[in-house]
Amino acid sequence: MTEHDGWSLDMSSGPIFEQIAKNVHQMLARGALTPGDKLPSARELAARLSVNPNTIVHAYGQLEADGVIEKRRGLGTFVREDAPVTGMKHEMLHGAASAYAEESRQLDASIQEAIAALKEVWDAG
Amino acid sequence: MLAKLDHVTKRYVKNEGLRDLTLDFPAGQVVGVLGLNGSGKSTMLKLLAGLLFPTSGHVSVFDGQPRSKRSNIVFLGERDALWPWMKPTDAERFMGNLYADFDRTRFNELLDALEVPRRKTKTMSKGERGRLRLAMALARDAKLYLLDEPLGGIDLISREKILSSIVQEWHTDETILLSTHEVAEAEGLFERVVYLRDGKLALDVSAESLREGGKSVVDTFREVLT
Repeated sequence: MTEHDGWSLDMSSGPIFEQIAKNVHQMLARGALTPGDKLPSARELAARLSVNPNTIVHAYGQLEADGVIEKRRGLGTFVREDAPVTGMKHEMLHGAASAYAEESRQLDASIQEAIAALKEVWDAG
Repeated sequence: MLAKLDHVTKRYVKNEGLRDLTLDFPAGQVVGVLGLNGSGKSTMLKLLAGLLFPTSGHVSVFDGQPRSKRSNIVFLGERDALWPWMKPTDAERFMGNLYADFDRTRFNELLDALEVPRRKTKTMSKGERGRLRLAMALARDAKLYLLDEPLGGIDLISREKILSSIVQEWHTDETILLSTHEVAEAEGLFERVVYLRDGKLALDVSAESLREGGKSVVDTFREVLT
C-alpha cells in the first residue's frame, strides 16, 4: 500500500489507473480537491507514487472522458468548474451505505439497529 | 521492434543460462524482468547489451548485433566497479570521454536529485554508490536501458530516489528493462512483466491486466515461480 497526501494505491486491488481515478473522485467528494484546482502533471505524480507515467495518463484520460477534469493547453490539468462534486459525495456514500445495508439485512437487523450501530461507531470516531 | 531475442540459448561451462528464449521488446516499454537467483535475468540483459554471445539463436537491437549498437544501449550491471578514489567529477570525465551521448548537465542534475555526495566513492555508503552509478547510466541518451538490480542491497530511501529518477528520466520512446528482487516497490513502474524460471520464460504479461484480475505482480511472482 502506497499512501501519499490523498493518494493511496494497493497493487492487489485492481488496475492502478482505476485506483488513481477513484482517488480523484474521493478527494473531490471530501473537498480535498475543488473545481478549478490544478492536478499534478502525469510525470510528477508518477514519480511521487513510483508508477509508470502512462498509467497516470490513462487515468487522467478516463477522468477527462467522465467530465471531471480538463486539459488546458500549455497550463496543465484542472478539475472542471462544472465537475459533479455534490453528486459525487452522495454517490460514494450511497455505494458504501448499500454495502452496509446489505450486510445488516443478512444479519436480520432492523434499520433502527443498523442506524444505532452506525451511530455508535461514528461517535467512537 | 527495438530489441529481440529469437530462440536464444546461452550455455555456460557447467549450466545453462538461458534455454530457447524468444521475446520481443517494442520501443517505449518499461519491462520488469523477474525471477529467482539463477533464473537467467542477468544473462538475458548481458546478451542484449552485447556483453555475452548466445550459444544458439539470435539477439538483435535495432535489427543489428547489440555490439554494433552500443551507442543506443545503456547497461547498468550488478557489479559495482567504481574506483575507490573516484569522485562524481571524475565519473563525469570518465563517462564523458567514453560516450558521446553522455550529458554532463543532466548528470549534475541527477546528482542533485539523487543527493549524491561529492566525495570519493570509498567514503560513500552502498546506497550513495548505487545512486551515483544510476546517475552515470541515466545521463546517457540512449534508446535501450538495461538496468540489472539497480535496487539490490541498498537502503529504502536510496531505492525510492532511484525509482523516482527512473520515472522522471524515462522518455516515452525509450525501452527500459529492469531486473529486481524488490518487486513490490518497483511493480507500479512496469507496463509489462517477464517472469523467468530456470532460464526459460515462465510468463510474459501486462502488469495492469494482472491487477485487473485482482492480483499484483508480487502475488503472481509467488504463484508462477514457487
